[in-house]
Amino acid sequence: MAGSGSIWRRALTVGLVAGVAVLYLATVGLVLAFAERSFVTGVTSFGRVILAIPPLAAGFVIGSRAGSVNARLAAGLLAGAISGALLAVSLLFASAVDIRGVLIRVSAPLISFVAWDQDAVTGAGINLALAVGLGLVGAALRIAPRSVRMPVLAAIIGVVVMSLLERFLRPRLTELDFTDVARFLYQGGGLTVPAALITFVLVAAIAVAWSPVRSRVQRAAAGTDAGQRSTIRAVLIVLLIGALLYLPEVVGTFFSQVLVSVGLYVLLGLGLNIVVGYAGLLDLGYVAFFAVGSYLTALLTSPLSSLGLGLPFWVALPIVIVGAAVTGLLIGAPVLRLRGDYLAIVTLGFGEIARLLFLSDALKPWLGGTQGILAIPDMFGVPRIELPILGVISGPELTYYPLVLFCILAIFIAHRLKYSRTGRAWNAMREDEDVAEATGISTVNYKLLAFAMGAGIGCLGGAVFATHLESVFPGTFNIIVSITVLSIVILGGMGSIPGVVLGSLALIGLPELLREFAEFKLLVYGGVLMVMMILRPEGLLPDRARQLELHEADEEETGDDDSLAPSAPRAAEPTPEGLT
Amino acid sequence: MRRPGRLSLVDIILWGLRIAIVVGVALGSWATLSAGRLTGAAWSDLIVGGIALGSVYALIALGYTLVYGVLLMINFAHGDVFMFGALTGFFVADGLAEAGFLDANPIIGMLIVLAIAALSSMIVAVVLERVAYRPLRRAPRLVPLITAIGASLFIANSVRGLYGEQVKAYPTLEIFAGKINIFGLEILKTRAIVIVAAVALMLALYWFVERTRTGRAMRAISEDKDTAALMGINVDRTISTTFAIGGLLAGAAGVLYAIVFTQVHWVMGFVPGIKAFTAAVLGGVGNIIGAMLGGLSLGVLESVGPFLLLSGFGVPSPNQLRDVIAFSVLVLVLIFRPYGILGRPESR
Amino acid sequence: MSLAPTSPIPDRDAASESSDAQGILLEARGVTKRFEGLVANRDIDFDIPRHAIVSIIGPNGAGKTTFFNQLSGVFQPTSGSIVFEGVSLVGLAPHDVAELGIARTYQNIRLFQNMSVLANVMVGRHVRMAAQWYDAIIGHPKVQREEELARQRARELLDIVGVRRRYEQDLAKNLPYGDQRRLELARALASDPKLLLLDEPTAGMNPGETRQMTDLIARLRRELQLTILLIEHDMKVVMGISERITVLDYGEQIAEGTPAEIRANPRVIEAYLGKQATT
Repeated sequence: MAGSGSIWRRALTVGLVAGVAVLYLATVGLVLAFAERSFVTGVTSFGRVILAIPPLAAGFVIGSRAGSVNARLAAGLLAGAISGALLAVSLLFASAVDIRGVLIRVSAPLISFVAWDQDAVTGAGINLALAVGLGLVGAALRIAPRSVRMPVLAAIIGVVVMSLLERFLRPRLTELDFTDVARFLYQGGGLTVPAALITFVLVAAIAVAWSPVRSRVQRAAAGTDAGQRSTIRAVLIVLLIGALLYLPEVVGTFFSQVLVSVGLYVLLGLGLNIVVGYAGLLDLGYVAFFAVGSYLTALLTSPLSSLGLGLPFWVALPIVIVGAAVTGLLIGAPVLRLRGDYLAIVTLGFGEIARLLFLSDALKPWLGGTQGILAIPDMFGVPRIELPILGVISGPELTYYPLVLFCILAIFIAHRLKYSRTGRAWNAMREDEDVAEATGISTVNYKLLAFAMGAGIGCLGGAVFATHLESVFPGTFNIIVSITVLSIVILGGMGSIPGVVLGSLALIGLPELLREFAEFKLLVYGGVLMVMMILRPEGLLPDRARQLELHEADEEETGDDDSLAPSAPRAAEPTPEGLT
Repeated sequence: MRRPGRLSLVDIILWGLRIAIVVGVALGSWATLSAGRLTGAAWSDLIVGGIALGSVYALIALGYTLVYGVLLMINFAHGDVFMFGALTGFFVADGLAEAGFLDANPIIGMLIVLAIAALSSMIVAVVLERVAYRPLRRAPRLVPLITAIGASLFIANSVRGLYGEQVKAYPTLEIFAGKINIFGLEILKTRAIVIVAAVALMLALYWFVERTRTGRAMRAISEDKDTAALMGINVDRTISTTFAIGGLLAGAAGVLYAIVFTQVHWVMGFVPGIKAFTAAVLGGVGNIIGAMLGGLSLGVLESVGPFLLLSGFGVPSPNQLRDVIAFSVLVLVLIFRPYGILGRPESR
Repeated sequence: MSLAPTSPIPDRDAASESSDAQGILLEARGVTKRFEGLVANRDIDFDIPRHAIVSIIGPNGAGKTTFFNQLSGVFQPTSGSIVFEGVSLVGLAPHDVAELGIARTYQNIRLFQNMSVLANVMVGRHVRMAAQWYDAIIGHPKVQREEELARQRARELLDIVGVRRRYEQDLAKNLPYGDQRRLELARALASDPKLLLLDEPTAGMNPGETRQMTDLIARLRRELQLTILLIEHDMKVVMGISERITVLDYGEQIAEGTPAEIRANPRVIEAYLGKQATT
């Protein structure tokens, strides 16, 4: 094989990268943070899972190289061995020399955890052996046919998710009197061994069954006409909304709170998605709109604010949104002639200016300085409401339901705009601003429109946020909010509406199941931005146009890859009708 | 691009902004100066402090400018490269102080600290380019920028995880304490050292870019990457070198910053990073001399501005708003003169 | 097959009647463009008769594209006037120029790469559509009608230029090169232009494709009543289809006339054709 000479060098590189990754994960504190979080109780913890991922991935990557099966397996083994050797050597070093003065996480507990509570030499040996095995397994998994690989991967992910859900499912099942189920599934903070096995088999079985089912569904879908399809879609939407309405009932009070956070970020994400995803304007100061919305709401509704109006929320809301859109125009107007990357920095500057002004003593008489504004009334002014179908609504649910409504509204607007003349103009501008202008699109107007839309939705989020917390503090509105919303949009896929929902669930909802993770949230956001841009810039749920792009790429792999070469393959074909 | 005859909404807002700034600056300075709130010595102190701070900004700004020159991208993570140097410098300085070396040979000791900090920042910058930016060389412009934002978060939070969140204080040195008298001006020694070191580094850089082969290659690439490649310039290596030089300067800036402020921590890269970028834009991005001047002017502006512009209006605690002034400069420069004070409008 | 649009083109007939008297669609007088000391265009006088195909030729760097950019509003002339159907183009933004009825293509194809082929053409139709963002949100019935018409027209145009139907949902960047050129043309045509500016429409094409493109240009003029201004390097193309030719060299207009006159002009031969002939 042509590539067999280089596969060893490649294995060396990949193994080294994996080894460095393992060391990084350990020294940055992730491993120890998850050492106590049980994965499958009595078997292993999430800390070990984290340590296992790099060598496994290294084997997997090597397995995709060209070469004979044996060579690939051996290379996977080699990569794992190098990764393991690096860890083993570092373990020996760390147990001999105290480096805590610099790398503060390299503590005795970490060392003994990594060494499996054995002495350093034995621990090093265990790690080396494990890494070799993992590299081999990774390579084998990659070499295995797709029909085996996919179910196994799905099953592994399934078990991880099931174990993560412990935080949510165990208390909730107990609360709902399914104590036995809870005890069967979870013990000692993790999955029980039987539950893990059942999950693995179940998910694998579903994955195996999935592909025939999918093709049948696809065939059925191909047979439907447009009318039927829109009926199906309507039914699905109704079902989805119904599910959303019952969700707080199902998940309980604590997770209703989480749902509110997720919903809030969905709203913010939808707003930013219009600016970044549709119009291609990178706004790093999106938090400013969120802050303006919150503060405007606070000023208008709180009896303690400098205005002292004490308006009801629903009266204040339209004023807030109009105020927000005007802010968007005012901020947008001067900056819109700037090129893309400068625009990003200017908006970042605006965001920081807004935060510093809200914080400052200079504006304290009006905005409350560091103390913020308190006593913002509830959305409805009452602690509980009784509704016909949903029953008594109280606590976070009082925010949840209006928030769902706002999200649906925002999704509706975003969807309508996307497939309109306006949406096309935005997309054209994103693709090539000069050409869009020359095609007759007033780019300044369309940029302003995108800014104002984003601002309006962001402020709506701010208004909900203020009334939900019943207070606003300047400390909340920092650049991290902007970056979080941007990460959500990027992870889901720029321009993709379902992507925003997925991104919020993953970046806002998931951390609630992983509270050990809180300290590493920003690290992960940073990683998400980098990895997505390098490996999958279209996001996890790309919008339709970008999906086409992927689809096309798949086709090209199988067939004529020279179709982009100037004029070559088409020249001989018959000329298009009407021209001959 | 604009229509001369018609005044659009945007133009009106821009003109309103211009007038508001001129009026605000004029009124504020007049009120402050006429009230005689600060003595001449206090003013000169503010100005020297501003120059010291500004020379640190200038060193960081050079990294932005160099990278922008060759890649046309804003290396958003450059502030964190600076932070990394400052932190590495801390560990070296701390180690040397513990060993008693720093007290015995303060100057050699600090030079070692400076060298190691600069090298460590250089390594981070080069790895960053190799891992995160090189795969995106042909991607649409926003893609590397978003990557850089991610990298900034990633580096800062990695440092937080690896080295801990607490603020670290550089060891204080006897010989840096006190003031010296230059041309009748009493200047804090630390400030004098920082200014001298920064200027020396800038001169070295200028010599490098103008006189050496690699420097010429860098300039060629910033003119036209493809042609440069055709002329036999190794583009990848030159870009790496550019990041390396930017990193070196940022690491050195980290130590100089620490000499002035003594304290370092994992979030310290963000604000100086943005300000240095402002300085780079102020001088015209891609322009080395511009970055130096931009850094100095921003430092002085930030140091003097709050008192000069705001205290006249009776604004309470004006120093709280120094960052507002810096960011406002950023926003205003980008809006009104995105090609910088020294630059000319792009010929388009 | 007819090329006439199924959807009515506003103002076309009224406008052509009013100024047909003089027969000049666009009139440039003394157009000069300087870039920081460099004179890209010096004192260019230029008429484009209605329904004509006019070409600008000249060696690289002669200022052809600069002149183009002034017609389409990208650059403002340093001095001189450009009048299109009685309206001065000086000071207009590119989108205003597009709305007046001037559409263009680019030397190095510039499509909206990550948009579908159909969407590219529909963006071209932007100036002839009226739906605002609020119409789209409330789902005004006229929006759907307008979209449907625009889609129809886009498909017709794709047929006319010869991009096949099965590509219409593909991303523009995945089209073969020749089809990308044709798609760019369809996008320009979608705005129902009166004047079409083509910047080297046959660049990078093989002889077969070049012939097709030349035929297409001639046919567009004939059947869509277009006026076409062409920048071209391929002398065969230019001589074959242009009524009038202007020659630029170092920003100066060195000749103007019919293809036969240009072919015989000694200055042109020296500046341009001479070099061309030796290659």
